[in-house]
Amino acid sequence: MRERDPIQLPVAGLLAVIAVAAWFGAGYFGQELLAEIAILAIFAMSLDLLVGVAGMVSLGHAGFLALGAYATAGATVFWGWPPAAALAFSVAVAGACALGVGLFAVRLGGVFFIMITLAIGQMFYAYFFKARAFGGDNGMSGTPRFDLSPLGLETGDPAVFSALMLVIAGAVYVALLLLVRSPFGMMLTAIHQNENRLASLGCPVRRYKLAAFGLGGAIAGLAGALMAQHTGFVSPDLAFWTLSGEALIIVILGGSGSLVGAAGGAAVFVMLRDHLSDGSFWEGLRLSGDIATHWQLVMGLFFIAVVLLARDGLYGRLSWLVDRVRSAWRGRGGGA
Amino acid sequence: MLLDPEFLIVQTLNGLQLSALLFLLSIGLSVVFGLINFINLAHGTLFMLGAYFALSAARAFDSFWLVLLVAPVGVAVVGGLLYLVLLRHMQRADPMKQVLVTFGLIFVGLESVMIVWGPLPHTIDVPALLAGSSSVLGQVYPTYRLFIIALGLAVFLLLYLGLERTRLGAIVRAGVDNRTMVAALGIDIGLVFFLVFCLGCGLAGLAGVVAAPVFSIFPGMDMSVLILALIVVVLGGPGSLKGAGLGSLIIGIADTYGQVLVPELARVTIYALMALILIFKPAGLVPVRSGH
Repeated sequence: MRERDPIQLPVAGLLAVIAVAAWFGAGYFGQELLAEIAILAIFAMSLDLLVGVAGMVSLGHAGFLALGAYATAGATVFWGWPPAAALAFSVAVAGACALGVGLFAVRLGGVFFIMITLAIGQMFYAYFFKARAFGGDNGMSGTPRFDLSPLGLETGDPAVFSALMLVIAGAVYVALLLLVRSPFGMMLTAIHQNENRLASLGCPVRRYKLAAFGLGGAIAGLAGALMAQHTGFVSPDLAFWTLSGEALIIVILGGSGSLVGAAGGAAVFVMLRDHLSDGSFWEGLRLSGDIATHWQLVMGLFFIAVVLLARDGLYGRLSWLVDRVRSAWRGRGGGA
Repeated sequence: MLLDPEFLIVQTLNGLQLSALLFLLSIGLSVVFGLINFINLAHGTLFMLGAYFALSAARAFDSFWLVLLVAPVGVAVVGGLLYLVLLRHMQRADPMKQVLVTFGLIFVGLESVMIVWGPLPHTIDVPALLAGSSSVLGQVYPTYRLFIIALGLAVFLLLYLGLERTRLGAIVRAGVDNRTMVAALGIDIGLVFFLVFCLGCGLAGLAGVVAAPVFSIFPGMDMSVLILALIVVVLGGPGSLKGAGLGSLIIGIADTYGQVLVPELARVTIYALMALILIFKPAGLVPVRSGH
């Protein structure tokens, strides 16, 4: 295992610089993409806490995303809560539900944990699909965005909103990084590496896993609340298991357990989807623009390739590259 | 409503028809899960492929019975190729990778179907012989749906005999119980597993073929049945034929009645049932593995 993680902060800094540059360069549509990336990055990082750090592979994480989204939609539309209060409510609801689910789920391991989280995520999907109060399978619209008019900011402006999302994503990243590097995070990593040893040392393994599961759910709820604000719309599809699957792919693509990798993976994923479904991208490659209609085929092949080839993800490859360059540098005796 | 015999008979038959389809679909999934703890999420895609193969075969041949034979064989071949090219190499990978590779296959299958057969739904006709209605306990019911129930039952009996009375069946049972031990006895469990995998894929294709005249054939028809099939596998117990039969029966009947009686909560209850089984009886209702 990696003893230290020397490239974590430089990579995060690089991503931040790219994000800021993209923000300055982006037009209307670009800002929408940027906000989507930021929100998906939060969701992917929350899943990385479960999968990469604590070793719990969940195929139902989108259930908590949907809970957060619906909690925000319900609280703002039905009760007239301000979006900020609704956001806190979303985090609380998703976190509480995740704790409730986790109470049972963390008793299982391996493929059975995947199955139970799938079942529970689909349970939320089935509920929202039929829930008349929330518009059933049509979903519901009308979720307002944060009101920052006292600060003189208009969140209806895509540039303002995407900047806000990037700031929040950055804050979530910093908080998660501190958490992962805290004694609590070390315990989670240790449990991931050898659960039996930790249990035999007297560590309350399930309690740690439960805490991670609840926390991951709460952050997924935060992402859901932001997603509802971004699109102004919630639908049962937010809870559908394929979204959980895509988030897992993002985590693996970025490099499981590296946090910043999950954020980078989210960016690659959104950009790739955007390009693949755009006819002019294919024409630029001197191929037929019609391929864009079947972008999911390319995406599916990409998923398979990622899982088969990306052993430790983009982050892991980068880490390896940096190591190689460094040792080559030292070998030449050039480094001071 | 519940005491009305007409309602009871028709809904029970509907439930049994769904059970028969779920059984055909889940038995392959179950045995593969039981043998190597491998969840093939693309199993629903094979079901969809079966329906589309039936569509093309129905255009090529006149006989429904020929379609019923050819299309599942086609699906079994696709399943076999998939196994040889991709899934075989995934057996030792961790569960997450297995799940996600087959997850990617779902999208590939979905788009391939759209490229070949177009995005619009299709229908195929019920064979003339089975097109009418029959009387069941005084109720008029489509003969074709009775045929599906009978087919499910027949396949169950055939598989039961095959599993209990043949050498291959004995090896499969032993393999589910303890794969390593079977291999140590000098049996090529890999080959047996390959055959079982193809058979399971073929049966999923068969489910798609017989479902095609009842439901419309459309890209994405795999999604709705995949999760139900997974629930059947978990409920019955991975690797268990009787479990898959019992699980299909429970889920088929419960889902049919649930959709009619409590549409708001029906599916929620079924997913909750799956979660509860996983927590309290992870080996399912008919456990096959005799401890570790």
